[in-house]
Order: sequence, then structure tokens, then C-alpha cells
Amino acid sequence: MPLKESEAIVLRTYPFRESDLLVTLFTRLEGKVRGVARAAKKSRRRFGGALEPLTYVKVTYEDRERQELARLDACEVLESPLASEVTYQRAVALGHVAELLDELLPDREANDAVFRLGVSVLSHLRGTEYWLPITYFDLWMARLMGYLPDISECLTCGRALNGSRAFFHALADGLVCPEHKRLASSEMSAESRKMAALMLKLPLSAVDPASFAKLPGADLRKFLLQTLERHIEKKLVTRGMLERMTC
Amino acid sequence: MSRFAEPMARLIDELKKLPGVGSKSAQRLAFHILRSSEEDASALAGAIHEVKASLRLCSVCNNITDVDPCVYCSSPTRNQRLICVVEEPTNIAAVEKTRHYNGVYHVLHGSISPIHGVGPEQLRISNLMKRVEDEQADEVILATNPTVEGEATATYLSGQLRRAGLKVTRIATGIPAGSDIEYADEITMLKAMEGRREL
Ligand SMILES: [Zn+2]
Ligand SMILES: [Zn+2]
Repeated sequence: MPLKESEAIVLRTYPFRESDLLVTLFTRLEGKVRGVARAAKKSRRRFGGALEPLTYVKVTYEDRERQELARLDACEVLESPLASEVTYQRAVALGHVAELLDELLPDREANDAVFRLGVSVLSHLRGTEYWLPITYFDLWMARLMGYLPDISECLTCGRALNGSRAFFHALADGLVCPEHKRLASSEMSAESRKMAALMLKLPLSAVDPASFAKLPGADLRKFLLQTLERHIEKKLVTRGMLERMTC
Repeated sequence: MSRFAEPMARLIDELKKLPGVGSKSAQRLAFHILRSSEEDASALAGAIHEVKASLRLCSVCNNITDVDPCVYCSSPTRNQRLICVVEEPTNIAAVEKTRHYNGVYHVLHGSISPIHGVGPEQLRISNLMKRVEDEQADEVILATNPTVEGEATATYLSGQLRRAGLKVTRIATGIPAGSDIEYADEITMLKAMEGRREL
């Protein structure tokens, strides 16, 4: 079978058989692909650090007759997360990006918008500012997966939420007005809603991190992650770690 | 119905649970055990039983040991104030191979891995902090793997340990000895440049 070449983001690796690695990649060419890197555990020479999760790479792989797993031929680092200091907070942020991409994307289905989002967020996760890239990523993943309704109006009555309080519930989509709020709802602040509207209009590089630092947006992230968890019917492992992360 | 007598099928099933052992290998091993002498078979069974009955973690360093404290922690010839932190007990053998390290160890039993839900709370860090707080250390060497998880673990520990005001060092990473820099990937080369030393 012909060799395929694509840009990709390494999502996860697992030890496989004696000395191989099973690698989940998000490729630009055909979405999420699982492949085997032969002898990658024993000899680091062939793949080097290229198979570390969240490395942006150029990968060459080959599909095999009647087999689900591709064979990884080569992997070249375009950008490595190890090039900047890996603090605990940064590791949690990177793990969160990998988990969402792995859990939300279907196998072998290209998604160029999500790919570009992923690469952009990874490059913004080089510094010490995590909350803006993470919140931007959560928001756009919800949007690009089609799970985000219009948050400028009450989902029950359609009234504009501009100037009014807005609420959300773990078991329902979207935001509602005070009149239609359910028991045990959480509130999303007007600042967070304004920030979300802004982030949906601008590329990540154009959002001012200084304006965001004052608005941690914990309510917005809670709303987004509840929405995503409801759609994948699964708890996200990194959600609790993000919530416990204080700085 | 199984092709083997029940005790044989049971042995094959147990052997198949071992890492890297498939059906074929399990059958081969089971027949080898069946043909071996009574003493050899008992010795194998006894060794397996004993490893579970007598091994535990060292209360000082978390290394796997049959005596507590372990041989390193109770050695009078080792520098007990120099502590090398590793992810797994098997990493100790790699450091010992150098025959140039005379300090002691601390085993974390893992590394920080957010995607697997492993944070600092899940690692064995508390008895390391206790050793440091009790002023039983001059230097801590962080010898976790040069991976994202190992780096995150080292950065986290160095933050905690520096507060206690002792010397914290990280093992160097970079070009393997006997290789050619021409074949080093960019991240290995970058780490090698960062870890350079004055001659
Ligand atoms: Zn309403
Ligand atoms: Zn010990």
C-alpha cells in the first residue's frame, strides 16, 4: 500500500507487545489514526522524541491490508512540547487538549478546522498563560463539534440574554433566562458571556491575555465541559485536575 | 471443551497472563514445567509464592525490598544525604550500573500524567518531603524520564523541594554516548545544548 504523509498531533501512546508503541495521532490528512511504531520503546533512534504526546509532527505511515492499525514509518518533529519548560500546570493543560481531541474526534475523518485549532492552541501553550488557550480551545471544540447553541439568547423562550442574568444546567443545552432556570442551575457571568462572544469572533492570537487574566472564566469552562461530557457520555479525566489547579 | 486436561489448561491460562506471553508460548512453558523434575517445579512455585509473601516497599525510599529499610537505606558506606529520585524501582538498576553513584534513592512509583488522571497526590512523594524536612538530605537528584510526564514530575518536585532550601539537580539529557550528532533529532539536540557544561 502507498505511504501517506501528513502533519499530525500525537495524542497518546501505549506500550504494545515487547518493544513497540501503539500511537494515536490526529492527522490533518484523515483525522484520527491509530498506528504501531515498531521497536520504538527499545530504540529511540528512529522516532526520537517525536512520539511524545502533544508533539506537532510530520508523519509517514502505511495502511496494511485488512488491518485497522497503520504502520508508522517515520515521524519528524515540527514542534515539541519539551522545547519549553513543562510545569505541572502546563502538563495538565496539554493533557486536557489531548484528551478532548482523542475523545471527541471520530476515527479516520479529516477535520481541518479542528486541526488548525489544535496547532494554534499548542503554540499558545508554550508560555505561562494557560487559562486563555484552554478556554478558547474548549469553546471552539464545542462549536466545531456542533454542540454549542447560540448563547446570546434563552434556549427556552428565545429572549436575548444581553443585560439579564443567564443560567445553565448539567443536563440541558445552552443558557436560559432567570424565568426559565431550573433547580440546581449555575450562573454564567455577563463578563464570561462577553468573553465567549469575543473569542468566537477572533483568532486566539488576537485575544488580549491581559483582559482575560482578570476574568478566569471558570463558569464558562464549567458550562463548556458539562456540554462536552454530556455529548460524549463520559467524564473527562482532566476536568477535575483543571478545576483543582489554582494558578 | 479444552484440548488439555483441566490442571494443564489452568496452568496455561495463568501463564498467558504474563506480559509478552501468548497462547503458543504459554503451552510451551506449561509442557516444559510438566516434563521438569519434581524439585524444579516446586522451586518455581515456591519462588513465586515467596516473592509475594516476603517483598514489600522500603518505608524510607519505597524501593521493593525483603528487609526494611532496604539495602541502600541501611548501608553505612553510602552517602545517605544524597538522594536520587526515580520513577520506578527498575530505574535503580540503571543508575547502579554506572558503579559511580554512592548515594541513596527515592522511588515515586509513577510520574505525573494528567491524561491518565495521575497528579502529584497519586505519587509517593510524602516520605521524600519528610526526609528533606527532617534535614536528612544535602542534595536531591531528579532522575525522572526526559518525557513530558517525567519533566512535569521533575518541575513539580523541584518547586516543592526548593522551598525546603536544599540543592536540587536534574540529570542531563542529550546525545547518547558513541553516537553521531548528525543523527540526533532536534529536541535531543536542543536539550544537549541546554545541558552543556564548562570545560
Ligand atoms: Zn427564557
Ligand atoms: Zn530504602
